[in-house]
Amino acid sequence: MRRRLLSLALCAGLLLGLLSGCSCGLVDADTQVFAMDTVMQLQVSASGKAAAQGALDGAVAQLNDLDKTLSVSGTDSDVQRLNAAEGTWVTLSETGADLLKQALELCALTDGALDITAYPAMEAWGFPTGTYRVPDETELAALAANIDYTRVELDEENGRARLPEGMGLDLGAVGKGYAGDRLAENLRAHGVSYALLNLGQSTIMAIGSKADGTPWRIGVQDPAGEDYLGVLELTNQAVGTSAGNQRYFEQDGVRYWHILDPATAAPARSGLASVTVVADSGLLCDGLSTALFVMGADRALEFWHDHPELNIQLVLVADDGSVSITPGLRDRFTIRDPERGVTVLQ
Amino acid sequence: MKRRMTILLAAALLLAAAASLAAILRPAPETDRPVARITLDGELIREIDLSRITAPETFVVTAADGGSNTIAVEPGRIRVSAADCPDQICVSQGFISDGTVPIVCLPHKLMISISGGGSDLDGAAG
Repeated sequence: MRRRLLSLALCAGLLLGLLSGCSCGLVDADTQVFAMDTVMQLQVSASGKAAAQGALDGAVAQLNDLDKTLSVSGTDSDVQRLNAAEGTWVTLSETGADLLKQALELCALTDGALDITAYPAMEAWGFPTGTYRVPDETELAALAANIDYTRVELDEENGRARLPEGMGLDLGAVGKGYAGDRLAENLRAHGVSYALLNLGQSTIMAIGSKADGTPWRIGVQDPAGEDYLGVLELTNQAVGTSAGNQRYFEQDGVRYWHILDPATAAPARSGLASVTVVADSGLLCDGLSTALFVMGADRALEFWHDHPELNIQLVLVADDGSVSITPGLRDRFTIRDPERGVTVLQ
Repeated sequence: MKRRMTILLAAALLLAAAASLAAILRPAPETDRPVARITLDGELIREIDLSRITAPETFVVTAADGGSNTIAVEPGRIRVSAADCPDQICVSQGFISDGTVPIVCLPHKLMISISGGGSDLDGAAG
């Protein structure tokens, strides 16, 4: 009898210990970093305050390093030197060469829907500076003719690259995702099992789940409203969103956004208002959300069908506000307003 | 002797169980009210409980470099209504009313984010 009582108490104690979320000894730390032309928020859970803070400090230092290498505006960054080299070879940092390789592969994979050589067009529209203008058709045709990632030469063996004169490179569409991958790799190597890296408004990388074992809850912004569209549950994966309302200007009642169609050098009008990509790699989420936004719903779906090896999931919001998701998100995406239907793509 | 040990052990376990129970049942911190946090270069300068706003109001925050943003608050929502930054991204974003995506004015290192509001989000994309 007594023994039974004892084991009962033991069980109750253990159960309650478990229920109270045995994140025993884990300490949270977070910070805000201005880097890569955006504001990033990093939060980690680690065993002890020093470990958590150390992991964060390491991540911030790594981020600043990446920023220096990849920034299009920074002086002496790999990208800036490539753009200023007037067609001559430029020796890249190891990071720069690695990202350029991955970025070019993604451009090829999307058949140029993502093109990292659209920078002169971005400049013509005034997006980097905020001095917005609408280029005329002749100017756009000339700009579009100079958007062609296949003309970027990467000499992997010697760690150098070359860009034809008059062309310009910007790794902004993939840089944040790449940074997320590198940071996650480093944090995991240092034993961090729970972290959320918000790399600016478009790219989020989750390491593990939350410390209590439940998935991270990520709100996906409604491109047409001030509310969130729905909640995505994320564990050990990345998510990237590209939307026309992220960065834009209006002139004569027309909205011009920063996602340009490489074929026209003008804002991509594909019928999609926002594209969210969930995948293991931040770079993939970042680059593909842009590419699929440019492609439009039909081609995006085709791409998804053609590339099961990428293991990506999508949330597509059309200009008319209708929402579609791929089947893998059925149990992981919850729409905020149940009246608003969600189509599960097949 | 043995019996006393057993009783002690059982008592200790029961106490631990009761403590865990208390920890579970403790009221959660209030997260259902949307609170806007305004930071400049990471430093918190103002916190506003948006559910307590009854009439629209505006105020100006000035960044370290002298740049300024006019912030407009209405019941349940907040926006940057004017700014002297070149890109005007913060102004064109309009109102935010939940924790989805913060308003950021990069040139001034200004950020407005909302916590609470019942959505209980860890982050936001878009």
